[in-house]
Amino acid sequence: MGALAEGIDQEMFLDPEIRNWVLFPITVIMVLVGVFRHQITILMTGDPPKPEIKDIRQGKALMRGQLLAQNNSYIPAAAFAERKRYLCQAYEEGTYLKNKANKDQGPANLMTDPKNMEVMMDGMKKQMMGIIPQTLIMGWIQFFFSGFILIKLPFPLGLRFKQMLQSGIMTPNMDVRWVSSLSWYFINLFGLRGVFSLLLGGENSADGIRDMTAMGTMGAMGQQPGQPQDFNKQFLGMKDNLSIIYHEWDLANIEQRVLVKYGKQNRLFKSSAAK
Amino acid sequence: MSSAVELLSDIRQSSERRPFEVLKLAEPLLNTGKISRVDDVWLVYEQVFTAAIDEGQIELAKTILTILHKRFNDSQRVRRLYGMVNEAVGHPSEAKQLYQQMLDADETNVLASKRLVALLKAEGHTKEAISQLVTYLDTHANDFEAWLELCSLYLRHNLYPQAAFCVEEIILQQPANHYFHLCYAEICYTMGNLGTALKEYLRVVELSTDNVRGFYGVKLVADRILELGNLSKKEQQDAGLADAPQPATLQRLSQLATERLVHAYNSAGETSKKTAEAWLKE
Repeated sequence: MGALAEGIDQEMFLDPEIRNWVLFPITVIMVLVGVFRHQITILMTGDPPKPEIKDIRQGKALMRGQLLAQNNSYIPAAAFAERKRYLCQAYEEGTYLKNKANKDQGPANLMTDPKNMEVMMDGMKKQMMGIIPQTLIMGWIQFFFSGFILIKLPFPLGLRFKQMLQSGIMTPNMDVRWVSSLSWYFINLFGLRGVFSLLLGGENSADGIRDMTAMGTMGAMGQQPGQPQDFNKQFLGMKDNLSIIYHEWDLANIEQRVLVKYGKQNRLFKSSAAK
Repeated sequence: MSSAVELLSDIRQSSERRPFEVLKLAEPLLNTGKISRVDDVWLVYEQVFTAAIDEGQIELAKTILTILHKRFNDSQRVRRLYGMVNEAVGHPSEAKQLYQQMLDADETNVLASKRLVALLKAEGHTKEAISQLVTYLDTHANDFEAWLELCSLYLRHNLYPQAAFCVEEIILQQPANHYFHLCYAEICYTMGNLGTALKEYLRVVELSTDNVRGFYGVKLVADRILELGNLSKKEQQDAGLADAPQPATLQRLSQLATERLVHAYNSAGETSKKTAEAWLKE
């Protein structure tokens, strides 16, 4: 029975015209669209907006606090205390804030800042560039080639792949190895990344997978487009972080550690108090 | 040819200053015109340019600069190179003006601010260089190389506490690099803070096994503390010895240092071995 059913499936032959006028064109067009999109994206994205010096200073001040919190055990107690006192005071007073004057007003409204608008528009443009061509190609394939079978894979596959490989075809009994036109489109969409990175270099904006992820995150992004960071709050949080640190110098028992390392002592005493 | 390109890229990535080798490697590339086939041709040009400046080959530098200028017409990075030519041929004021202009146009320009510091330092205006560098570090607090530079500038003026502060800042950023602990130890020793110096020297030999400079330090400081003997509370505080190790531990540390140093010099030549042994016996 099994052999018979397989035999029937094998009886199907594809017109070479399908290969010449459907399979290859879809692939070629997708590659070309990808390359085209890459070029357009390069054209449309201007230079990334330059951060102002105060933005940098603000960010680095926070990083400095993080570093101190993270690596505080490597410097002597006095050095740590000095830094802690200074940074806590600076955070409290907002020394490093970009707009020191109105630090209590919270973050400025996004819409009023033209620079932010530009950033948002840039993101929108990029996403549009991703979605529009893909939608067009998909529409084109669905319109002209719906129900086409393009190739037969040279290896057997489980039933699970049916949905993936035969989307757009409603024949429950057909062997999974046959690939429909719409599925060929999807396979290309995900599989051409390697070709693009070969053609355009690693950092290209041609492949479609990023658009998929972009679409996925768009819902979440839509509600709060890049909420500006409230540095005053972050500074105050960092200040709390710093002030609860219990400083213990990493070198407190270094004598023992060195003696153990060079084989002059067998074991490490728990702390410097044990010496 | 490919190996020369690879070597150049290695030197570039480790940001070593080896102008002579760079020029030697790049010369055939430039002469045969093969350089245009290199992947990072513009980076190589920049690298050869700096090397040429270092070696005093101003003509070569100028030729390269023309090529770079043709390709990157209004690049700030190329403008900085013009400043460097001006510095090299002895027109520091013009270079300074150029850097200042670049900073006026874009005050976040890291390369220009660093050049300005270097220029001030080269002219001998250490104080101005320090204040310029402090302004820079106020913004770019995570640039440990700048902290290192500031440290060396402070040391020129024997401002040890300030230098120590800089090294502490570097250690916060790179806690596992033994070289910075060594710097810190030496500065602490110079300031008379023996307790911290000893611990930092020990940290050096912990991080870098059989570090000769580190063990010299350990021996020096441990012997010094033993020599001082019993100090009053006040003196102990001053030398950072409030919780110094017991004399027995100090003796063991000193012995360990001697042992490791003898071991290190065993493989060295006769003369240096003798010198070392003589020092250790004292």
